[in-house]
This record gives sequence, C-alpha cells and structure tokens, in this order.
Amino acid sequence: MGLFPQFLVDAVLLGGLYCLMAVGLSLAYGVTRIINFAHGEFIMLGAYGAYLLAAHAHIDPLLALPLVAVAVALIAFLIFKVCLERVLDAPHTNQILLLFAVGLVLQNVVALIMTGDDRSVSTPYALTATEIAGLSLPHGRAIAFLVSLILAAALVLWLRRTELGRATQAVAQSRDAATLMGINVIRMYALSFMISAALGAASGCVVSFLLTVSPFMGFHMLVKGFAIVVLGGLGSIAGTFVASFVLAFAETGVAYFVNEGGGWAEGVALAVLLVVLIIRPSGILGRATEGN
Amino acid sequence: MKLTLRVIAAAFSFVLLSGASLPVQAQKVIKVGAPYELSGKFVAYGAQGQRGMEMAVDAYGPAVAGHKIEVLLKDVQSTNQGTVSAMTELLQKDNADFVIGPIASGFVSAAVPAWRQKKALWIVPGSSSPTFEEAITGEELVFHTYPWAYHYHEGTAKAIAAAIGKGKKVAIIYSDGSYGRSQIQAARDYYGEAGFQVVATELVRENTNDMSPALQKIRLTKPDVLVGILQTTDAIVLAKQIHIAKLGIPYLVGTAYPQLQEWADAVGEAADGWIAANSYLPNLNAPADPKYPKLFPASKDWEAAFKKRYNRAPEFLDVTVYTSAVMLFLAIERAGSPDKQKVAKELRNLGVQTMLGDGNFVKTRGGALNQAFGEMLVYQRQGKQFTVVYPTARANGTLRPMK
Repeated sequence: MGLFPQFLVDAVLLGGLYCLMAVGLSLAYGVTRIINFAHGEFIMLGAYGAYLLAAHAHIDPLLALPLVAVAVALIAFLIFKVCLERVLDAPHTNQILLLFAVGLVLQNVVALIMTGDDRSVSTPYALTATEIAGLSLPHGRAIAFLVSLILAAALVLWLRRTELGRATQAVAQSRDAATLMGINVIRMYALSFMISAALGAASGCVVSFLLTVSPFMGFHMLVKGFAIVVLGGLGSIAGTFVASFVLAFAETGVAYFVNEGGGWAEGVALAVLLVVLIIRPSGILGRATEGN
Repeated sequence: MKLTLRVIAAAFSFVLLSGASLPVQAQKVIKVGAPYELSGKFVAYGAQGQRGMEMAVDAYGPAVAGHKIEVLLKDVQSTNQGTVSAMTELLQKDNADFVIGPIASGFVSAAVPAWRQKKALWIVPGSSSPTFEEAITGEELVFHTYPWAYHYHEGTAKAIAAAIGKGKKVAIIYSDGSYGRSQIQAARDYYGEAGFQVVATELVRENTNDMSPALQKIRLTKPDVLVGILQTTDAIVLAKQIHIAKLGIPYLVGTAYPQLQEWADAVGEAADGWIAANSYLPNLNAPADPKYPKLFPASKDWEAAFKKRYNRAPEFLDVTVYTSAVMLFLAIERAGSPDKQKVAKELRNLGVQTMLGDGNFVKTRGGALNQAFGEMLVYQRQGKQFTVVYPTARANGTLRPMK
C-alpha cells in the first residue's frame, strides 16, 4: 500500500490536535478582542496538571481532564482579575505585552517548581496503535481527535443553546449593545477567558501523553494556534476548525511527499497562510472587523 | 591608664593593618567563569553544570595555588544572545581567568566570538558539534572534555557492524536545528565506513508534533538500523512514535538522550533496546586515580557522595563538569599561578585517571588541539540496565535486536 491512505489518517488526526490547541485562543479573541499570548502557558499548565496527577495519584490524563480544566480556569480568573481587567480598554500592544509577561512568569514559576526536565505521561493507549489493512491508527492521537470533536461541539452548543453562551456571543458582536441589553460585559469577558483557558488546559492533558511536557512547550503551541486562528478568521470557531485541518493537511502532505519534507512542512503551511490572507484578508471564515 | 591607652592603640593599629591587608587578600582570587543554561529550554543541562561545579569546589577546597576559588555562575538563558552577554560579561567585566561552560552545542558555538575578544583558558564540557570543532581549530587555550559527534557515530556504527555484520541498511532521522544538521554528515560517513548502506535520511522540525510521515517513509526502506539525531525534547516524541508505529527495525540508535533518566521516564517501555555511546555510564565501577584518589575517586564512591548531597543519581554532565573543573584546579596548582599559558601546559600534561576515562588531552582528526575523553562505551538499554556492548574488552553483555 502506498503512503497516501496513511497520509490522510495522519493529517486528520493532526488536524484534531491543532483544533484542540487553537479553539480556546479563538474563543478568547472572539469575545474579548484580546490575543491571549499566555494561551500556550495554559496548555502547559494543563499538561503539568495531568502529569502530576498521573505521576503521584495514578489518575489517567483523560480522567484528570475535567479537574485540571477547572483548576486552570480558576488560575485564569485570577489572572483576569489581577491583570487583564485593568487593560481591557488599553491599546492592543499593552495587552499583548502584559499577557506575554504573564506567560513568561508562568513558564519560569513552573520551571522553578518542576525543573526544566522534559516529561511525558505513559499510558497504555499512548503507546499502541490499531493496524487496519496496512494503515496505522495510533490510539493516543485518535483519542485526541475525539476529545477535540467533543469539546468543539460542546463549545458550539454552549454558545448557541445556553443563556450565558448567547450573552457571550452578544458581547462578541457588540460590547456596547450588550451593555445596553443589561449584560455584564466584564463578567462575560472573565467567563470566556476562563473557558478559553480551560480548553487550553484540556489540550494540555491530551498533549501530556502525546508529546513532551516542559515549562517552555507553550510558545510553539501558541505560534501554531495563532497561525490557525488567523487563517480561520480571528474569533471564528468554525474558521478555526477548518483552518486546523487545512494547516494539518498542508504540513503532513509536504512531510509525506517532498524529499526531507518534514523540515519544510511548517514553512509551506505558513506559506498557505500567507496566500489565504492575500486572497482573503479576514481569513477563511472570518468577517471584516473594525476596531474593538 | 597608660596600659589601657597602649592596648587601645595596639588594637587600633591591628585593625588598621588588617584593613590595609584586605585588598591584598582580595586580589588573590582565581575567578572561574561558569556560564550555564540555568533557565530556559536547556535548564536541565545547566543544573548539571552547576552541580558539577559545586562538587568540584567542595572536593578541591576553597583555594588553589594560594588563591581563593571564586566561581562566577552566569545564566546563558538557553539563548544565543544570553550566551554572548554572559560570556562577554565574564571576560570583559568580571575578568574571569578561566571559563568552564556552557553545554548545549548551539550556545557553545554562540560563545566563540565573545571568547575571541579576550581569550581566557576555556574548558568546554559540552557540544558535540563539528561546527564548534571547526571554529576552535588550532586554538591552544580551548580544552574540550566531551565527545564529538563522530565519536558517537563511529562507536555505534562499529559496535552494530561487529554484532550484525556489514552490508546492512541504515536510516537516519535528524532535526533541522544546529544539533541535527551539524551531525548528519558524520553519521552518514561513519555508518558508510562501517559497511552500512544509508537508505534514507529524513529531516524533522525541532519541536514537531508529528514524526509519523518521516517514520512511514523510513518504514518503506526496511532498514536494519535507525539513527535518531535529535535533542531530548524531540527524542521523546520520536521514541514514542517509533514504538506506536511498530516499524520492525531491529536496532534503534540515539545520541546522548538514551542515557538520560528524564528521557527514559518520559517514554516508558519505549526506552527498552535503544543503543547509544558515551564516555561515562553509571554503576560501572571505574577505579580511582592512584595519585589523586580524593579528587578522582572510584566512580561508585563519587556517585554515592553525589546521591547523598543531591538526593538523585548523577547524569553524565554532572560527571563531565566535575571532572573538567577538578582537572583545571589541579593544573592551576601544578602551574603554581593562574598564568593561562602555564595552566594550559599543565592540563596537557596532567594524565589523570577519571570516571570518564584517561584524562589525556590530544589533538583530534577535526583539528581541535586539546580533546579528552573521546573513548566511547557503546551500550544498550536492556530493561533498566545499561549493558555495555562495545568495545569488546569492556563489554558486559551482547547487543540484542528489538522485539
């Protein structure tokens, strides 16, 4: 059997992982219009939470996921109250620098407590795969894909079917109109920031058994997540979902079908981003926005 | 009353004289710069560097050749820019007489231009990069105490060829950073020289999320050996994904990472069977130096002292930095002063027996003038043990294919 069927499987599974990494970032921007440069550190905190619970309490990362997500959401709430609330109306540069600094502090606090040693959780399913007609389906990545689908669906349902979700969307559409409708905008900002962090932590739990956990893992994930959110259209959850798969297919395709393509994969994926933005500056499913 | 005044005057004079002598004593200090990765991505290396230095200063005592040892620890922040700043500060501002560190290949190379501005005697207990070896060709004041890339690949290629015969196929996967790129040619050359046919070389991005495409392409070439030239962070993903993909490759070879406990802990059962080479392995009972048994004790005694102090087993960089620092102190003692030319000469003539092997500095085939500890032990992780498989004279087991 050629490489093409395996390419399809790998690209789809990678797309699921990317979606998980980026969807929280997209939500936070969609509502608060602030690019959360500490989002990678929420993923990192989630990964460490899962690692610690696995190493010391023998709790599987998937079982630990709800607990870790809530814990990281509470940390995010604290960061929102202490830092972010004060700069909601400040220029974007200030917000970005502040969140970047928050990310650096979180990185180094974790490095001090946990040391810089690389870690990863070993679960039975993280090291196994099912072989079907010559195709390898890694269980860990398949689980990551399912978790990604479930969380994305839950997020969409929450946004569309619940009072709080609709209020969040209202704030995302127009802060002033939402205020006039009696919605507590600051509370909705805090809530969406917490949910965004919780989604980041959830992806950290999944990453903990797929990839390497270290205090500095977040930055690369932030860059990838940011590229996906921009490609999909800033703030568009559906766009993020589509862009995750576009990027995953581009990267995996280059890695499979170009000689030593693994080294070029990200470059080509970012070239795709560039081309899409030239043709459609608001991203695949984004809408043109104006200021705040 | 007269007596009291005399006593006060004498005491005052004593205090003044003592005070006057203080600057004289302050000058008699030997400054040893220690730029390490104390924060950032490679903090695990820096921690080993710091521990090695602490153990060395404790073992040698507070002074050498009548000079107080002052270790100037600097954080290179795991960045090239941080390394240049730390090295410049050590040499230009702090006037360090000697420098030991940093460790990671990229930062050692980044430190070279800063070092050239004011050449102190520099011991490098890390970097296996041929790029660095090229940069220091002909430099008399640089002493390298860590194996070069070709030592790894030459050793493992010979060991595997000895076990499975010539004419077999090898595939190589390497990262696109300086670590992978600087070693790929040496790997190709030495596996070729040992009679292997290189059937695939695959490049992967540093910090990649997915190595499956590279591994699936390698699978099609059906190699007997897979060599992974990656840093630890990526090597964890590699080992896990190889295990998942069930590639059926009998021999998996790493660079430094298969020896690291953090790598083994992170990959779990996927660590079993990996082959690598190094100049130090724990629990090998290397003997003490007959002339300096306190400075270069038997490895089991040093390992026990290390465990007692840090509550953990030493890694190879703990040992490398310790050995490098103690060799430097001993050379200073024998030189009788911190004169760098005299100390360099003494280092070359030291010839001590250490946990890393014979401490003799020799010229390398790559052009470095002072290289120690290039003799490699090739080992395989068999269960929780390191089994030495090559050279045959020091082997305590045989190479076995992966199940």
